[in-house]
Amino acid sequence: MWYTIFKFELQYRSKRADTYVFFLFLFLFSIVGVDFIFQGSEMGLMKKNSPIVIAKTMGAITGLFMILASMIMGVSVLRDFEYNIESLMFTTPIHKKDYLLGRFLGAFTVLLFAFTGILIGMMLGEFMPWHNPEDLMAFNAMLYIKTFLLITLPILFFGASLFFVTGALSRNLVVVYTQGIIVFVIFMLTKAISNEFWQAIIDPFSLTTTTFITKSWSALEKSTQDLPLFGPLLYNKLFWAALGVIALIYGYKKFNFNVVKEKRSKKTKSQLVTHKTATDASDIIIPKANKHYGLLSKWNQLKQFTWFYFTGIFKQASFWGIVICGMIIILINSVNLGTVYGVDSYPATYFIVEELKETSMYFFIILLVFYSGELVWKERSAKLDLIYDATPMSNFIKLLGKYMGLNLIYVVLMLALMGSGIIFQTLRGYYNYEFQVYVSGFFLEILPFLALYTCIAFFIQSVVNHKFLGIMLVIVCFIANIALGLFGYNHDLYFFGGSALGAYSDMNGYGHFLKPYLIIKSYWLLFGMLLLIMSALVNVRGTETNLLKRLKASKYRVSKPLFKLTVMVCLLFITIGSFIFYNTNVLNTYWTNSEATDFRIAYEKALKPFEYIPQPKIVDVNLQVELYPETRDYTVEGYYILKNNTKEDITSIHIQKLLEENVTLDAIAFEGGFTTNSKYKKFEYSIFNLNTALQPGDVVKMHFKQSFTTRGFESGNSNVNINYNGTFFNNSDLPTIGYNKKYELNDADERKDYGLPVRIQTANRADLNELKNARNGSDSDGINFEMIIGTSNNQTALAPGSLLRKWTANNRNYFHYKMKKPMINFYAIVSAEYETQKEQWKICYDSVAKPVDLEIYYHKTHQYNIDRMMMAMKASLTYFSTNFSPYQYEQLRIMEFPRYAKFAQSFPGTIPFSEAIGFVLDIDDEKDVDMAFYVTAHEIAHQWFGMQVEAANVKGRLTILETLSQYAAMMVLKQHYSEEKVLQFIETQKEEYKKGKDKEDATEPSLALVENQDYIYYAKGAINMYEFQKAIGEEQVNKALQRFIEDWNTTNGKLKMNTDRYATTQDLLRYFKEVTPKNLQHIIVNLFESVKPITL
Amino acid sequence: MDLIINNLSKTYANGVKALQNISLEIPTGMFGLLGPNGAGKSTLMRTIATLQEADSGHISLGDIDVLKQKNELRQVLGYLPQQFGLYPKISAEVLLNHFAVLKGITNKGERKDLVEALLHKTNLYDVKKQNLKGYSGGMKQRFGIAQALLNNPKLLIVDEPTAGLDPVERNRFYNVLSELGEQTVVILSTHIVDDVKELCTNMAIINQGQVCLKGKPLQILENLKDRVYKKTIEKSELKAYKQNYNVISEKLFLGKPTIHILSDANPGDGFSLINAQLEDVYFAEIFNTTNAKSI
Repeated sequence: MWYTIFKFELQYRSKRADTYVFFLFLFLFSIVGVDFIFQGSEMGLMKKNSPIVIAKTMGAITGLFMILASMIMGVSVLRDFEYNIESLMFTTPIHKKDYLLGRFLGAFTVLLFAFTGILIGMMLGEFMPWHNPEDLMAFNAMLYIKTFLLITLPILFFGASLFFVTGALSRNLVVVYTQGIIVFVIFMLTKAISNEFWQAIIDPFSLTTTTFITKSWSALEKSTQDLPLFGPLLYNKLFWAALGVIALIYGYKKFNFNVVKEKRSKKTKSQLVTHKTATDASDIIIPKANKHYGLLSKWNQLKQFTWFYFTGIFKQASFWGIVICGMIIILINSVNLGTVYGVDSYPATYFIVEELKETSMYFFIILLVFYSGELVWKERSAKLDLIYDATPMSNFIKLLGKYMGLNLIYVVLMLALMGSGIIFQTLRGYYNYEFQVYVSGFFLEILPFLALYTCIAFFIQSVVNHKFLGIMLVIVCFIANIALGLFGYNHDLYFFGGSALGAYSDMNGYGHFLKPYLIIKSYWLLFGMLLLIMSALVNVRGTETNLLKRLKASKYRVSKPLFKLTVMVCLLFITIGSFIFYNTNVLNTYWTNSEATDFRIAYEKALKPFEYIPQPKIVDVNLQVELYPETRDYTVEGYYILKNNTKEDITSIHIQKLLEENVTLDAIAFEGGFTTNSKYKKFEYSIFNLNTALQPGDVVKMHFKQSFTTRGFESGNSNVNINYNGTFFNNSDLPTIGYNKKYELNDADERKDYGLPVRIQTANRADLNELKNARNGSDSDGINFEMIIGTSNNQTALAPGSLLRKWTANNRNYFHYKMKKPMINFYAIVSAEYETQKEQWKICYDSVAKPVDLEIYYHKTHQYNIDRMMMAMKASLTYFSTNFSPYQYEQLRIMEFPRYAKFAQSFPGTIPFSEAIGFVLDIDDEKDVDMAFYVTAHEIAHQWFGMQVEAANVKGRLTILETLSQYAAMMVLKQHYSEEKVLQFIETQKEEYKKGKDKEDATEPSLALVENQDYIYYAKGAINMYEFQKAIGEEQVNKALQRFIEDWNTTNGKLKMNTDRYATTQDLLRYFKEVTPKNLQHIIVNLFESVKPITL
Repeated sequence: MDLIINNLSKTYANGVKALQNISLEIPTGMFGLLGPNGAGKSTLMRTIATLQEADSGHISLGDIDVLKQKNELRQVLGYLPQQFGLYPKISAEVLLNHFAVLKGITNKGERKDLVEALLHKTNLYDVKKQNLKGYSGGMKQRFGIAQALLNNPKLLIVDEPTAGLDPVERNRFYNVLSELGEQTVVILSTHIVDDVKELCTNMAIINQGQVCLKGKPLQILENLKDRVYKKTIEKSELKAYKQNYNVISEKLFLGKPTIHILSDANPGDGFSLINAQLEDVYFAEIFNTTNAKSI
């Protein structure tokens, strides 16, 4: 018997378009599956078709589209109730077992068919032309089939059982949809499990499981090894399959053939009451109410409809399921906010909002996709459409009412999420709620996004006139738009919805991002409005469902007011669109990705020959900077003194202006006269021929004026260095001398495609040209520095050097800085509204030394860790000047800048420090490493390793700069706190090392020859230096460093003074070897020269 | 204000000719539209109710060109479709209120009075707070008429409203309807002949998309006066009788076929003259048109 039902189910489904649509959808998506799932993550050595990649991709796609399973499985029994044939069905002599089994197996077969789309799609995806053959292993169909059976099948069975049972028991489609959310919530909750083993067992999509079981694998193993079947993966699959069986058994027990659900006894009773006396109704006079069709009544209708459709969803239990899931998820899951090396930040509102946005997006999308379908179909599902359609109500007002109602639903979820955010903050003892950040985070960032996609969803549902197909198309739209952005077609005028709003910063709020964002959003909302109007015009009204006939009939639907509205919206849309175009493409230039690539190629081809031509070096910088934060402009005027340090005459000087359109080089002049060669004008690269050649040792003064002018706004991300509050830029924005390697095309594959030679990231230690450079394209070996900065009257502007004078003129603040000693040509200009903390430090045993001014400039609410930073400044200065060499400047400043970048960076005597790290960390001295202290110490160490000693721009450079700073900071941490804290820190570094190693796609270099692999020079560097000092003693290491600095100090090093090259790791290791006893010499090889991976 | 239908035709995509040159003049009062299942009644009603396009022809209500000025018609239209559902989880009061807004009754006070009066009128007042899910067929139908009356319609279309109702509910329903006939065009489609006899001042019979008869019930009956004869026969004889007489209907009476025939003269042969019922008219017309087709 069950077989007949099974066969019927298959026959029924095989005639339905949805079955094939689902298959096609999964198939098409899976072709780009690997690329989509692993988009943006470094795959390292892992091949794109290695077992683990296939397993993760299949797991993720299955998870993402579990919702399709709910659409297939859920309707299986529900269908009988929807089409009202349940009474016929359930009175036939079929047994419950046969009915359920037949239906389940039938639907499950269809589900499997649809999901083989993943299998076939992924196989085909391997042969897509965009893959680099080097990233792939030989094709192995069995591997795909095996993975499908192992990864997808069990969870699919679970999902199928769950959805089938809920569909049969609840008899409510929306409940079925929301099951997808439950599975997702379970997945999110597994992330909160701290025990890795259990997390691996419970993760429904086995993403963490595969990570867990391959934890100890090398990159090569990960690339080739099959996943071990036995162990956690099997348990995981058995666990979920067993849950599926339990769900089925439960469903079987609970399901019965009654047509009426036995509940609500109270209401059935009251129904009985109604058959009482039929009062004679003829004497009741029906009052004649006035009918209104004017604008005011339209407005009233809109309000009533909005409320009606809103409450329709609001009262549903499934909606509250979503709300509660959304609220719970942050309370359980969000324990890591703004984490820096294992230390969490205070739960500031913007962190909470970002976390909430991330976790709840899926919920909102579910609401959007399904409820838009439900709303458009509401009357027809209830079979009330004919009554509605025969009333004089306007299609547009009704649709708009549904639209507003759904948006109100989003608002409710948002309010609930805010509530849970506030609860979360309160539980953490954080009471600075900042409601405006909540409000803008949700209503300014998410709501417009949802509102826009809801327009699309309504439009699609209205046109397609097939609910499931509509839902699929809406999802396709989401994905297509993301893909459009990924391919670089992201101009705000055609990238649907425009770019996202830039990050919120305590210092700068939404800064200059807000205005263009709002303008672009209104442009798109007008577009959305047009979509809605079109939807209303072609919406099914009456019995005609043919799209062409609806299109033909739509012209009769345009009422006068609607026509006026449409014209108005169109005009506004065009006006705002033109305004945006004027800003992004006339006032500013829009570069597509390919244009930018072409430019880089041309730049390299034309100018590469100039890379190492003899050029003078900057020896003196004297500038007057005028910052206008309120308009985001600046001017820089003054001079460089250039000196010919070469042994030949220099007749022409090559100047590169910053390649940014806002920046103009208004004037440039060389003393003694010159002519300009503008051949490379399009690269903003000018060659100035001097009237009199610059003799070796001679100097020439170069006057220039540069300005930065903000004109309107740009498409996408704009400059985040020049801000209303928190300007931070450095001298690489000013004119530089000669070829700039940084403008070259970097991506190795792209270079190959365009026929460019392989780019050497970092030169060999024997490269004579780069040994003379301390950084890429270095145009100086040290400068004298003087600068006057003017800024707005509420801001403080900072640059390196002693503050000679400070004054106010024209309602602006002016600061005059001069560095009394030579310094490296690396300086930052910073300006913001600041609170300050100032102290002094003096080394205790030197009574004649001048005290050093310690200053921290911070945002007014970020007082949490100022004392820790101040402490770090003192402890570091004391340790470094005692053990390495004296501190060279008269001041040391830390200045906070907005969190658009997440780093701290050392400049001579000044350390700009991002608000994202350190300032808002919630440090518990019991269990955390004081990272505010540590990062400060690290940056101060750069005053030695970077400012006192510079390293040649060859392999191993960053070991000298960063590894030594890591070492120095660890020693200060050890001295100030304890050895245990250092060990705890080392643990975080081991994690970082492992993460970095997994992503590495080349072989791991040694510390001595490291290029730009931060997991080596930061993480492995710290680990190895710790081991090194453990082996030979801290004092011995410090002695070596002391000697190294003495010999290689840029301004007065004993060896440095006799050579024009900078130090390399070869030099550094010589000092290490000197202090290492004979029997331990091998550890230097082990730690620094060999590539021995760290055992974890 | 009369509803005038002129040469209305509609052919579905599958070739079914649902309406063929239908022309009717429907004055104020109750108008009965009779016809068997699938005769085109619902298509005609939906077309008048602006829910369906016609291929050709013309409909007007007073100054309103129904096929073009749909919204103007909807403002004076009350429509109760043959089949409709209700949102299960809201109450009659809320839904009726919602429909009132749909129909442009946006003044809150007026709307409240109106909804209340209609709930009284349809005897739903006591259950107005109850979820519509629990409504019986009769209550649902009464709710349907309540919503149709919200905008004080000039044209009221009710499509087979009494199907599935018990006699008590049916009477109650007709009581409400009959009051309206005084100033409204009410079109009542049905295949229950008695409904028309009891309620309607005018009627038409349509079959296979064509009007086969129109007029006042009493006049129509007059045409059949002294022409309908009845006889109870044996089952085996039925075929022979059908060949020899104009058998317009056959019914079982105590298990034996009773046939009605149409004859201008007394056929004798055990036939007895009966008072023609409207049903006989109906069957006679259906008999004629269907036969005409098959020849």
